[in-house]
Amino acid sequence: MSRTIHITRRTTFAALAGISLLAASVGWASTAMAAGVGDTPVKGGSLVYLEQQPHTNLYPPAGGFYPNGGILNQITDKLTYQNPQTLEIEPWIAEAWTVNADATEYTFRIRKGVTFSDGTQLDAAAVAKNYDTFGRGNKELKLPISEVINNYDRSEVVDSHTVKFYFKKPSPGFLQGTSVIGSGLVSLSTLALPYEALGDATKIIGSGPFVVASQTLGRELTLTARKDYNWGPAKLAHQGPAYLDSIKYIITPEDSVRIGALLAGQADVIRQIQAYDEKQVEDEGYLIYAPPTRGVNNSVVFRPDNPLVSDVRVRRALLHATNTDEIVSTLFSANYPKATSIIAKTALGYVDLSSRLGYDVDKAKSLLDETGWKVGPNGLRQKDGKTLELTAYESLPQPQNKETLQLVSQQWGKVGVKLNVLTADSGSATVNNLDPAKAPVSPAMVGRADPDVIKSQYYPTNRNVLLQKGGNSDKVNAFVDEKLNGLLDNLASEPDRAKRLAVAGDVQNYVIDQAYAIPIFEEPQAFAAAPYVKGLSFEAVGRPSFYGTWLAPRR
Amino acid sequence: MSRYVLSRIGQAALVLWAAFTVSFVLLQALPGDAILIKFLNPELGLGPEQIAEIRASYGADVPIWTQYLHTVGNFLTGDFGYSIQAGVPVGDLLLANLPPTLWLATLGFLLALVIALGLSVASSLLPLSWLRSFVQSLPSLFVATPVFWLGIVLIQIFSFQLKLIPVINPGPWEALVLPVLTLAVPISAPLAQVLMRNIDRVMTEPYIAVARAKGASRTWVLWRHVAKNAVLPTLTIGGILFGELLAGAVVTEAVFGLNGIGGLTQRAVGHQDIAVLQALVVFSALAFVTINLVVDLLYPVFDPRLKSREGAFA
Repeated sequence: MSRTIHITRRTTFAALAGISLLAASVGWASTAMAAGVGDTPVKGGSLVYLEQQPHTNLYPPAGGFYPNGGILNQITDKLTYQNPQTLEIEPWIAEAWTVNADATEYTFRIRKGVTFSDGTQLDAAAVAKNYDTFGRGNKELKLPISEVINNYDRSEVVDSHTVKFYFKKPSPGFLQGTSVIGSGLVSLSTLALPYEALGDATKIIGSGPFVVASQTLGRELTLTARKDYNWGPAKLAHQGPAYLDSIKYIITPEDSVRIGALLAGQADVIRQIQAYDEKQVEDEGYLIYAPPTRGVNNSVVFRPDNPLVSDVRVRRALLHATNTDEIVSTLFSANYPKATSIIAKTALGYVDLSSRLGYDVDKAKSLLDETGWKVGPNGLRQKDGKTLELTAYESLPQPQNKETLQLVSQQWGKVGVKLNVLTADSGSATVNNLDPAKAPVSPAMVGRADPDVIKSQYYPTNRNVLLQKGGNSDKVNAFVDEKLNGLLDNLASEPDRAKRLAVAGDVQNYVIDQAYAIPIFEEPQAFAAAPYVKGLSFEAVGRPSFYGTWLAPRR
Repeated sequence: MSRYVLSRIGQAALVLWAAFTVSFVLLQALPGDAILIKFLNPELGLGPEQIAEIRASYGADVPIWTQYLHTVGNFLTGDFGYSIQAGVPVGDLLLANLPPTLWLATLGFLLALVIALGLSVASSLLPLSWLRSFVQSLPSLFVATPVFWLGIVLIQIFSFQLKLIPVINPGPWEALVLPVLTLAVPISAPLAQVLMRNIDRVMTEPYIAVARAKGASRTWVLWRHVAKNAVLPTLTIGGILFGELLAGAVVTEAVFGLNGIGGLTQRAVGHQDIAVLQALVVFSALAFVTINLVVDLLYPVFDPRLKSREGAFA
């Protein structure tokens, strides 16, 4: 049955063509709504937010998945607030903090009078329990360790409003780690539940400006504002409770239905709008928001455990055979800048490697010739009776990932390498993508505004995109890159900021030198909103925050 | 109870058992499972050993035949297991999702029936021959219309352009109008085709000529003589169309973002949530078997000749 859906999805284009004809014949043009006047925030009202996919699990460390993060960001507070403009860490639930010289001890002073929505206190003990869970996991409850917390040892409740964290090794990324979605603070009753019970949003008790009022699993979610909320990030202009009374999240999987509903005035904000739809929305006077995700760029990575891509020259050849300019100009818009390193220009520690990422078919061909892969009678490169034929599974959350991979496949075809692009809508794709023999190539990206994000992406016990031995896949024979892992360890534990950023540069150079990844573009999160939606903001990696959002009168 | 009925029920039970067993084996044979899919999520960064522990805690490493017997026993006592993805009992999921789909399917089928009857009567009674052939060509158009496309077009026209019915946040009845129409149009096509052919066939029977010769009007003949005879094959196809109805509901629910068995199936397939899929297969088989059983039992009502055959069995 899922196949039916897949096939019919392809008919969307045909449908849209039909629709425009019908719309013209019906003769009803939707009129763009005029922007609201005045800048005085209006209190009250309900915001309708259309999300493409339902949330999966709201254990805060699972907040990396955008549908999860979009909810968690409204219902939980964090110890600190990362200013999305300056990327500086500012006070929130923690009023002040101190860090020792080698970044192994962090002490936070907790703001007084903060409560969770179940009435319990958000005090030092609650913060300690949260971080003990996020930092060490809980095997019994199947709660995994947060990927943003490295080298965590233990907590100590100094007094009712002071908490201290100890680390086994320096953990310089921890302070920023306290500001991310994955570190949302939840009540002790939530932390006592097993992982599988945390898919139920009503069980997630946070201290945020909104509270989950009701949900229909897989369909919709209603959040209501907490009237007693008075502990927003200290440096924000807006203080006190949220302006909105409520937010209604409605899962609307179809792109055309989300956009149509927005333009017809049935929704106020929508997430995930494809580059090719941007113009239509802007022409109607609506706004596109494309906050950057400031992390590891949308890339194609190799799994060197597979002998077909174990030779660095083959990987380099494919890197130079990839024309990122063509991909960006064909499929995307100005909101999707071409990648110039494995991390975004707006990411901390970025170095410009564009000179080493050039498109050069001749170089690609000569590198492949050098390795003994010769073009066979069918136009594909062959060696020892084997064909250089690779496979990648599409990643559904990434924008136009299938089209991107198909374009990459065409480009590689020009140098005699075949790339099969398989759809990822079956469960077995998840399993196959962890097998280097079945998926020697994979799409990958992750957002976070700290250099630790590179470790998150490549380290074997984190996301392990290269599929090294010792990580989440038991199908890997031997591939381990000790040098890379050493650099990543340094990155996550170098307390000196300047040295740490230098290590970040080394990692970027090394990954490109080994051609483990082909960076393609800097991925934004694309939203569209009606012009009367004011004060819509985004945290440092592009999840929406509705705390300061208000609805101007529609005219 | 007659032997005819008993043998029909026996066959139905056999079909159910076969559906259960085959789906059980097939679902077990799939590579990967819901536990792997949920916990191998790279964001969680779990190692193979931790996942093995989780598998053991779910009882996923028990031999397959033990699992089979266990599952059969549970199903017989009405326990459908636990959804790994949603973290709630499968029974709760079915209960929550069944009513909206039943409404959608029942109303969709009724509307399809109305459309099919309307088209068939029109194709027989309309005065102009070109109008009749136009109506006769409509079912081919309907059957070729993808549910998905139709749903989006209806939304665009009635919701976004004419602004008659909201798709986002509709009232309970508003929510059903467009989905029911979307589902009914393609389902009405085969019904109308069969009905039209049968009306044409019956119209050429000698007894119709006799009735007409006696001075009966075309309409009177249609209602009095043709309808009953033409409805029998339609009943058969109606039973078979139930499958189409379910498949159509999956797509319709996806387009309109409705809750229901269709959406549940789609999510369960995506996450390979075997307990849910197993229950859905058995439920669908049960519904299919029941509907066809009812159809079988209705035959004698419409065709007295079958009654005498039934008498021979009794």
